[in-house]
Amino acid sequence: MSVPNYRVAGRRLARIDGVGKVTGKHVYAADFKLPGMLYGKVLRSSRAHALIKKVDTSRAASIPGVRGIITSADIPAVRYGQAVRDTTVFALDRVLFTGHAIAAVAATSLEAAERALAAIEVEYEDLPGLFDPEAALDSNVRIHPDWESYKALPIIARHGNISGRSRIRVGDVEATFAEAYRIYEHRFTTALVHPGYTEPRVATADWDASGNVTVWCNTQLPFDTQNTLAEILDLPAARVRVSVPGIGGGFGGKLRIGVEHFAALLARKTARPVKVMSTSEEELTSALPRQASVVLLKTAVDKDGHLLARSGKIIVDCGACAGSGPGTAAISLQVMAGPYRTGALELEGIAVYTNKVPSGSFRAPAGPMANFAMECQMDMIAKDLGLDPLEIRLRNIVRDGDAGPSGEIHKSVSIEECLRKAADAIGWHDRNPEPGRGKGIACSWWMTTGGSSGVYVKINPDGTATLVSGAVEIGTGAITGAAQILAEELSLDLTDINVTGVDTQVAPFDYGAQGSRTTFSVGNACLAAAADLRRQMFELAAKQLDAPVDGMVLRDKHVVAGSKSISIAELARISRLAGGGLIAHGTAISPAPPYDPTRTENHPLPAWNSPSYHAHAVDLSVDQATGKVTINRYVVAQDVGFAINPTYIEGQIEGGVAQGIGQALSEEIAYQDGRVMNANLTDYKMPTAMDVPDIESIIVECRSAAGPYGAKGVGEPPCIQPPAAIGNAIAAATGCWPRSLPMTAEKISAALRAERT
Amino acid sequence: MTRKILNIIVNGESHQVPIELHWTLLQVLRNEIGMMGTKENCLEAECGVCTVLLDGRAVNSCILLAGQVEGRSITTIEGIGNPEHLHPLQETFIECGAVQCGYCIPGMILTAKSFLDENPGCRPTRDEIREALAGTLCRCTGYRKIVDAVAAAVERMSISGQHQ
Repeated sequence: MSVPNYRVAGRRLARIDGVGKVTGKHVYAADFKLPGMLYGKVLRSSRAHALIKKVDTSRAASIPGVRGIITSADIPAVRYGQAVRDTTVFALDRVLFTGHAIAAVAATSLEAAERALAAIEVEYEDLPGLFDPEAALDSNVRIHPDWESYKALPIIARHGNISGRSRIRVGDVEATFAEAYRIYEHRFTTALVHPGYTEPRVATADWDASGNVTVWCNTQLPFDTQNTLAEILDLPAARVRVSVPGIGGGFGGKLRIGVEHFAALLARKTARPVKVMSTSEEELTSALPRQASVVLLKTAVDKDGHLLARSGKIIVDCGACAGSGPGTAAISLQVMAGPYRTGALELEGIAVYTNKVPSGSFRAPAGPMANFAMECQMDMIAKDLGLDPLEIRLRNIVRDGDAGPSGEIHKSVSIEECLRKAADAIGWHDRNPEPGRGKGIACSWWMTTGGSSGVYVKINPDGTATLVSGAVEIGTGAITGAAQILAEELSLDLTDINVTGVDTQVAPFDYGAQGSRTTFSVGNACLAAAADLRRQMFELAAKQLDAPVDGMVLRDKHVVAGSKSISIAELARISRLAGGGLIAHGTAISPAPPYDPTRTENHPLPAWNSPSYHAHAVDLSVDQATGKVTINRYVVAQDVGFAINPTYIEGQIEGGVAQGIGQALSEEIAYQDGRVMNANLTDYKMPTAMDVPDIESIIVECRSAAGPYGAKGVGEPPCIQPPAAIGNAIAAATGCWPRSLPMTAEKISAALRAERT
Repeated sequence: MTRKILNIIVNGESHQVPIELHWTLLQVLRNEIGMMGTKENCLEAECGVCTVLLDGRAVNSCILLAGQVEGRSITTIEGIGNPEHLHPLQETFIECGAVQCGYCIPGMILTAKSFLDENPGCRPTRDEIREALAGTLCRCTGYRKIVDAVAAAVERMSISGQHQ
């Protein structure tokens, strides 16, 4: 493929919001305040599973500064939720986890609100708690006794404590097992982990004289938040306005409603603006973390290491509400199949309720969980067969035209290039350079989430363009990427593109900053808007220049027709006087690829749009006495289709790997008897600058058919493979295979001691 | 509630602020003086987003009582540069791609400035820069480009002889 000569797209240009962010001028939702604003706080359950016998707010109401208190008695018992409508604003007759909201207070100061929370009296009657997802599968204790009465998406299959079950079945697994050369069976566990954004979830709400509410918050999905708020507030969605000024990280943790509803309800109650901001403790006990899981894998191979059949089962601990659990369990199936040819598959994903924090969609939901199990088992198989881990992968990887697990066809496949480049870069020929040091490799594939995007693009009289999108810039640089595409198409410079914050009242719909889709989908919408603007400008220029539209081009901010030309700025000024200005509405939708529905059962995401392929390789050392892991080098080869801005793609890779290293080695929201033991940033251990090496990125470009200039999704994949690559390297260094995340020094040293005795 | 008057200098300007005794410096900067570039997160000195310079040295403003800084000089991110005249660290953070969501960046830049000011004329190694920045969490970048930016700023400041 020839390399196109782009001026703006593909260049390492500085992000458009950079100056505001380094000078402190960029406004985040946490910075937002209004005159007369009250501070809201949420009373949360101190019990994991209990009936609520009494909530008495009378003493709290008399505390000076308190302006309003709400409990479940004050609001309609609306049930909401993405897959299953099992979530309420406040616990109703029972609390389902420690941290479950019971009441909310608005007061003139945070201190008064906190005093009021302490004065609310709650009487509980404890119920038996379910904390082990496997035990919850067939327990007589029902976490949602009335689950049958809840609405759910029709695709979701529920049963007892199971909030969702999906399957993919291909061929005859049992018959293949019966004739296989060898069969390997392993069990892995992964931990509950927090996205770790540095700006807590925060919202400020205010009602106007017409009974409309505006919520300024840091959601990744303004339109989803608008809809959920409308349901909770029992209003038409058009009367709920969600505005996102700026957002301090999301990583999937700010997809679903967090504190927006508390702010809106308290503001309605008190007729004052109310701001609610989560504390670190609330973040770690009642936000939307990545689910813990148990993965069981059974894989059959021939004597050359070819995968013949795999049965796999993941049990996703979704906590007290389904949240993204059913979807995560389902997506796990494609991750368990991996970018590999396997004759027969029988994969099952189950999301199960427990009395723990409801979980969400942290960056690549299911990715690191299922990939850790699948890719560690690949190395175990390779070791047993005496094969090089790289070689067993190369023997099994998918090629262009192969069918994926759901029967969809793999296209623009780059997995071999990624594996070879990552292996070469890490020095794969020498896997054990010294005792206690080893190298590991892991690969995966991932979707570019679909959904629609709309943008408005307006040409200003100075010749610049304003881009109005409903997609939030959560930090990835995605909107800078989309603006680069727009600038490229309009012959403008990146600095000519003005971007606004997101406001549901003015922005066209966008499916949201999620699923590695923002640059891809908003970029496609920008292509469409630019095409429309070119048409408008050419038609206007034809009149002005007395020249035919045919053969016109945009060059250097001018419409050029042969020897004649007119500037975009001039056309914008003329259009203002003659035609209401130059403005376009560009839209994009990524249709799901065709697949074979006989292979899937109750799967909400059966086929992946424009998948990407990637491989990670790591070189690390393990202290033989303490089990402490030191990462010496870490290499990622990732197919991004086309790199719209290589700098921020590297940023995604480096940041995603850092999160993956945390999940691999140190991060876990640790529960004991239904209570979080480490609900603070001292004991919840995210990697610091000293824990992450200089991540080395190799950008592979194998164009997709559907993405702008051939781009594929970028943001989620980098945090999928670190646990597996690091696990395999630990095994190479020590001979011990950790099968439980996080692979702490404690666990590794215990395994080393067991090995020695 | 009893209030007292706090005298402080913020970015070179003197302020007399009525404060309650339990207020932190962070609260005073954000709520009373309007220096919103100083960010708020964990409130227990674990994340570093609230870092400011107290008489030139980096401190976590979330756990410092405002009453403890009577008469002293505070520098926030707004005080080291502005969009027209960026500090070298602000320039290199943009140029190196070290900014993503940006919420930790004011604290990160001020931590770096404190470190470089304490070691004038030094060319710190990447590991030394990492150690200096370890108290500020960044969840977006994986730190590589932040270290690049600090190293690049050292070069720039040594060439221009600038040490502000």
